[in-house]
Amino acid sequence: MRIEIKALECELPALGGRGTVDLCELLAGLGFPVDAVEQVNGETVLEVDVTANRGDVMSHRGLARDVAAKLSAELSPLAVPALDEGEALLSVRLEDPACPLYATAILELGDQATPAAAQAFLASMGTNAKNLAPVDASNELLHRYGHPTHAFDADKLRGGIVVRRARAGEKLVTLDGVERTLNVEDLCIADDSGVIALAGVMGGDSTKVDAGTRRVLLESAYFEPRVVRAMARRHGLHSDASHRFGRGTNPAFARTGRDLLAQRLMAWAGARLKGVWTAGSERPTAAAIVLQVATLQRIAGEPLEMAEAAALLGRLGCRVELTGDVLKAVPPSWRHDLAIPEDLAEEVLRLRGYDRIPSVLPSLEGYPEPLSDAFIQGQDVSRRLASLGFHQTVTLGFVRPEADAAFAAPDNPAEGRTLVNPLGVEYSVMRASLLASLKSAAELNQRQGAKEVRLFEIAPTYTSTPNGPIETRTLGLVWGGTLGGEDFLTKARPVQVADMLGVLRELGADQVQVREWPGGFLAAEVAMDALPKPSHRVIPTFKPFSRFPTVERDLSLLVDLDQSYRALASEMEARVRAAAGSTFQDVRCVDVFRHKSLPEGRQGWLFRLRFQAMDRTLTSEEVDGWTACALEAARSLGAELRA
Amino acid sequence: MENPLLPSEVIEASAAFPGQVAACTDLDALLRLKGAFVGREGSHAARLMELLKTAPKEQKRDLGAAINALKNQWEEALKSRQGELEEARKRRTSLASAWDPDLPPPLPAHGALHPLNRLMNRLVEVFRPLGYHVEEGPEVETEGNNFDGLNIPEDHPARSSSDTFYFAQHPELLLRCHTSPVQVRGLKRLAPQIEAKGGIRFLAPGRVYRKDEVDPTHSPMFHQVEGLLVGRGIGMHHLKGTLAYAMKALFGEGADVRFRPSYFPFVEPGCEVDVRCPLCGGGGCRVCKGSGWVELLGAGLVHPNVLAYAGIDPSVWSGFAFGMGVERIAMMVSQTPDLRLFFENDQRFLNEMGGLY
Repeated sequence: MRIEIKALECELPALGGRGTVDLCELLAGLGFPVDAVEQVNGETVLEVDVTANRGDVMSHRGLARDVAAKLSAELSPLAVPALDEGEALLSVRLEDPACPLYATAILELGDQATPAAAQAFLASMGTNAKNLAPVDASNELLHRYGHPTHAFDADKLRGGIVVRRARAGEKLVTLDGVERTLNVEDLCIADDSGVIALAGVMGGDSTKVDAGTRRVLLESAYFEPRVVRAMARRHGLHSDASHRFGRGTNPAFARTGRDLLAQRLMAWAGARLKGVWTAGSERPTAAAIVLQVATLQRIAGEPLEMAEAAALLGRLGCRVELTGDVLKAVPPSWRHDLAIPEDLAEEVLRLRGYDRIPSVLPSLEGYPEPLSDAFIQGQDVSRRLASLGFHQTVTLGFVRPEADAAFAAPDNPAEGRTLVNPLGVEYSVMRASLLASLKSAAELNQRQGAKEVRLFEIAPTYTSTPNGPIETRTLGLVWGGTLGGEDFLTKARPVQVADMLGVLRELGADQVQVREWPGGFLAAEVAMDALPKPSHRVIPTFKPFSRFPTVERDLSLLVDLDQSYRALASEMEARVRAAAGSTFQDVRCVDVFRHKSLPEGRQGWLFRLRFQAMDRTLTSEEVDGWTACALEAARSLGAELRA
Repeated sequence: MENPLLPSEVIEASAAFPGQVAACTDLDALLRLKGAFVGREGSHAARLMELLKTAPKEQKRDLGAAINALKNQWEEALKSRQGELEEARKRRTSLASAWDPDLPPPLPAHGALHPLNRLMNRLVEVFRPLGYHVEEGPEVETEGNNFDGLNIPEDHPARSSSDTFYFAQHPELLLRCHTSPVQVRGLKRLAPQIEAKGGIRFLAPGRVYRKDEVDPTHSPMFHQVEGLLVGRGIGMHHLKGTLAYAMKALFGEGADVRFRPSYFPFVEPGCEVDVRCPLCGGGGCRVCKGSGWVELLGAGLVHPNVLAYAGIDPSVWSGFAFGMGVERIAMMVSQTPDLRLFFENDQRFLNEMGGLY
């Protein structure tokens, strides 16, 4: 909202002489931060941010009224003579409760000239004067007093006017030249020819005022905010009028607004008043809100006096009644946002200044809850992976359908995960897998020249169900490029599937499939629920361990190139365990040797067996015997001892 | 010590000998030189011994003494040089198994947590000592939790399909546009225990979605951290005290907070909270646009309708809630010029901005 400082001071002389910075701080302290300050033809104009609940401050006088309450200062008296109402010159029928009040007048216009001061003010407001007195005056009044008014060319009206809901399919060309098809929710102004205006939103082209207009019918009404908001949204018509009616105008100002408009037309266009009347009546005043001292003091955090609260609310225009510790306040007709005791408390604190609220740390009343397993697991896995050299990524939850299809399970149809209003097709499906996003991120890094790419993400993936998409917290990993080669001890080599398997084993996800992608990338994905949960034990139960030496024996075997490692290792394990019992610790392959010097179709596997007893040092005879068992097991599967 | 009995070529060779010994830089060369002078056959010494055999009797004594003196002189020089060279070889051998510590060492793999996650982890750490745990809710939400339970009116613009994403096959489901529905879920879940526990307090970090085009300051997905506390007699002073503590814990002792009145449907009273600019300390800089303050979060006392919706009696219980944009704070403290960098996942950015905590 644009506010000209000069015009604001006009409404509240007490502001005079205050610097711009000072004023901006004052407004921000009341809840109206200033987003920008600019100069228009030598006048300082503020861009003031107003929250959606405060339609009443959307004008110079409205803002001045709030500041006046803060400063305990007086607004300038409103310079308008109340016009004497008389007989209706034309029928005005209010058929819908969404328009309870319609103040109007008919005037004959003389020569029109919008005064220079009004033109300058409109320029400050960012609009140009049209040099049509009814239009310019209506605009000026809107910005100055916040009450939207409208003038119809009375000679273009057919018969009397009705405020009613539109009939489905009725058409109206609005002032912006667009033909609009109305529906039964639209509140409209109509005459015998049909709809002539969208109530509170925009006038119609057929009855607009132009240079040839001789007679005008004025409109200064009250329209239900909810109805106006819905119309503005439905027709995409967010006008100055709809902004104000949509947030709630002051019904008590309807007649005054008409009088101000008539007064300006008499002054600017030599207009002669032909008739002044009002259809309908103001709504009954709002109900009283009851504020208990305990509520106020609880919210304020200090023992505020109810008398002070009553005084502050009085300054805001509330009718206040204070009985002991109970305050009753009837909000003024312009404050549609005040409904519950908390609203009143907020007003008291706001006028006192939020900077006066004390600062107190609340005491802990009960036992805090622990962090959830899932949260701790997410943090643990992330830190583990980061210390293993992986970079945590954050990618968008939606992907394009083709990217999703590449990784979605067949029983997870994309339709159940598709948005009806995506930003674009590339953001249209909630992903079934993290891999598509990780793949793009990995490829981006490769294109940027990264020698090695190690990325992971923990985020939900989505599965379609008849009840809607359900989320699974998922870990995705991608690894590719060259390892090592950056120092004098570590040789460069491509990342291998075994590298990824090692990381997965470290995470407790041994069974996860490793995917190989073009570009040398390896990827894996696993539900976080499938990973080990964090233990609640601070320290696990003690298990006795042997203080006697471990004995190792190496067996260098020649095996076929297609020998299954799992089969061979488990056969050896079974036989050695049968012979050695619990002294047998483990057997594992510690080296693979492939060379043309070996017999064709064969490779060398170096196995290491470990033995340890709980109660004695093992003799080399018994260890040799168990090693022989291992060799025998290997031989039974076609392996032989390498020479 | 020139002896006329010695042959002139030996005298010449002997004169050149010390230079030759010094010129030997390895043991092999020294051995070859040794052979040439004092070797068993064909050496200068051997030839001199031949000369001594055939010398006239009266010269033998003098000649013998001269030859011995020469041989001793040669052998001593050879032995001393051999010692030097052996010492040098020992030193080289030991060097071969040692490395200059200034050589670039192999570095352990270098990964990083994402800066947004680091910031959210940090916020959890800041609030943990105050007894806040973490509540997490789904991203796919109902209108009930995302709007109704938060006192957001039926015709609020946020509900429109131009602001919030909805699902094609499930018009009643949407992608949450803030972390506030976790308030509703958390309150509902904990409502039955509220008497026993004496209150509720938690933090809700998470991803949220809004229909904003991608640009340097907008993304259709971003992160928020929501905080909620419900207790007996909770007021604005408690909100201020809590945020004052949290901002100091996050930005340092100089981080004062400032409350300004504002409006959100799910709180009353509502406020915007500014923190004294953590970059300039309040003196005014580019980040705070010279004001000395930066807008950090929205907050307020939980609206009675929100408590009632979750089944908590607002005449007994009251509370406060706050919500902050993680990207906004991350961009502010890091002065990252473009929001998109956080979602691009370039390892150079992640290494620079990330860490293990």
